[in-house]
Amino acid sequence: MKLARRTPYHANYWLATSWLVLLLVVGLLAPWLLLPYPAATPDLLHMATPPSPLHYLGTDPLGRDVLAGLVAGAQRLVLLSLPAVGLATLVGAIAGSAAGFWGNKQLRLPLASAGWLLAAGWWLATLPARAAVVSILLVISILFSWLSSRQAVGSSRRTFPLPLDSLVLGATALLGAVPRLILLVALAAGPPLSFVQLLSLLALVAWPETARLVRAQMLRVRVQPFMEAARASGLPAWHIWLHHALPHACLPLFSFAPLTLAGLVGLENTLAFLGIGQAPDQVSWGSMLTTVRQDPNAWWVVAAPGLALLCTLLALQHLAQALNKRFNAG
Amino acid sequence: MGRWLLARLGRAALAAWGIASLVFLVSRLLPAGPEQLVLGEAGELAYPTTAAQRLASNQAIRQRLGLAEPVFYATRSPGPAGHWHWHGCHNQYHQWVSQLLRGNLGQSYASGQPVATLLGQALACSVPLAGSAAVLATALAVGLALYVARAPQGRLRALVQGSLAFLQVMPLFLLALALLLLLANPDVVNILPASRQGESASGLASLVYWAARATLPILSLVLSALPALTLPLAASLRHELGTAYATTARAKGLPIGRVLRQHLLPNALLPLFTTLTELLPTLVAGTVVVEVVFALPGSGRLLAEAAATHDYPVVVAGVLLIAGVRLLGLVLADILYFLVDPRLSPSA
Repeated sequence: MKLARRTPYHANYWLATSWLVLLLVVGLLAPWLLLPYPAATPDLLHMATPPSPLHYLGTDPLGRDVLAGLVAGAQRLVLLSLPAVGLATLVGAIAGSAAGFWGNKQLRLPLASAGWLLAAGWWLATLPARAAVVSILLVISILFSWLSSRQAVGSSRRTFPLPLDSLVLGATALLGAVPRLILLVALAAGPPLSFVQLLSLLALVAWPETARLVRAQMLRVRVQPFMEAARASGLPAWHIWLHHALPHACLPLFSFAPLTLAGLVGLENTLAFLGIGQAPDQVSWGSMLTTVRQDPNAWWVVAAPGLALLCTLLALQHLAQALNKRFNAG
Repeated sequence: MGRWLLARLGRAALAAWGIASLVFLVSRLLPAGPEQLVLGEAGELAYPTTAAQRLASNQAIRQRLGLAEPVFYATRSPGPAGHWHWHGCHNQYHQWVSQLLRGNLGQSYASGQPVATLLGQALACSVPLAGSAAVLATALAVGLALYVARAPQGRLRALVQGSLAFLQVMPLFLLALALLLLLANPDVVNILPASRQGESASGLASLVYWAARATLPILSLVLSALPALTLPLAASLRHELGTAYATTARAKGLPIGRVLRQHLLPNALLPLFTTLTELLPTLVAGTVVVEVVFALPGSGRLLAEAAATHDYPVVVAGVLLIAGVRLLGLVLADILYFLVDPRLSPSA
């Protein structure tokens, strides 16, 4: 039974949602949309022409069809920015909540597992003499775990703490040392990035903020009475973390994920606007906007992608506000 | 305070060094290394050569760029069954760090000039730009927040808040582009100087010329930085307005403007300082976009062009510079904290 009546959604919310759904549909169905022109191929006979029956939204100074570019930009948003935000949210939620839940001293690994980890690392990095060293390490850790399992009755097992909190905070501090745009520009300064590389780069830049938010929330959740009850009922720690603490700590993400997406869409289009790390056949809203500097009078080149970008960002902001009211008000 | 500040600075400096090292190593370990990109550009205008000549010229270019040595202290030879090699101090990373400690940032791949010279020339344009934008944005933010906190519920306040929310999501490049196309367009409104005579002139003419040219970049930087400064300050002012001491001050008969300015603002300013830490690096990052759009010869444009032409020494130096600016912002914010609020003890 719901005690409080849910706040009704504002009309803005429905407008924002329908725009985002439209984008999603266009982005997913882009290959089957039967557009008159491909996005990346220039029409050299019609460069920088205003909207006409031939090109419905005109062409940019490079001769590319603006309508096709709009659809390509929507496709890029759905296939690139959306998965990047999903990845960043997943990584940030897991890292941040684990750091907040276990802190620096709570997560204790048995000492024998250090040997296993070291052996695995040695093997994977193919450090010198790997067969000999790995087998020695394995023998030591097997012996050690056998010994400690015999001693375990009554006495405490030997463990060492894993400083999860420091690790996660250190990683976020490292990635936060320069603004996100600069980090992205510096890491994308090589040859044109492939699709997967750009996606992982965007996720890399975006996850620290999510992790910080979830960690702060987890610090609040950790001291709630129901956590104590869960611990008192004898549940294992990872079970409490996954089933009891994580859902509460991830609650702010409902409103934060749209904002992350808005930030990433802005960043990705800025990168395309600056022309850094872009494959030449990739068309996005940012790369169309950049061509207007060659012909400042071609207003139609700015109007369509600029409006689309602005509408998307505003829609995401409104969505975030509405979700924030709904999930975090009470 | 000293030790606490030092620890904070040490952590931030460590992060700055770490991120610069990361960018350096990533740039050197790319599948197509930097010299390949330089070679590709050189190859376009090269005469036909034999394979041996090409190999020799590759080697010469690698020597010249300092890329002949291994990248890191220990490297793994290529191939699935590669072995690890220890190189001692003869590696690019060690060279880079030791040169950096002597103040040598290296040479640009593209122009061959020392990076420090290039950066110095560019900073002469960017520092006034970002600095004046920071001062203007802060002053405007305080004024706007005072207005939003005291203004009655009305259309004007809704307009101010709506435009702040609008500016918050507007990407800087779109904002700058819109300003450029609306206010520097001969067909609409043109506030830019028509002739480029002032560029080389000296004295007052040059000052007027650069001021006119810097108006739009500064305007776009200020507008983009404004929401992040104003909205938290307005929220914190509104929170302070509900406290008991604010009611007391009002009950004494003080006008609300004076209560806000003299009683509430000092307390409400504290969260602003945290934002100020990020303001300087954000503005410097903003110059990357703004200087490209408005064609100003500053450090942001240098960084953007270096990134587009794979000029890694300049890119790494730019990252170091911006991380340094963030250190400066941290120091400034901490000093301001202690000046404004003596209650803050380092142990807290």
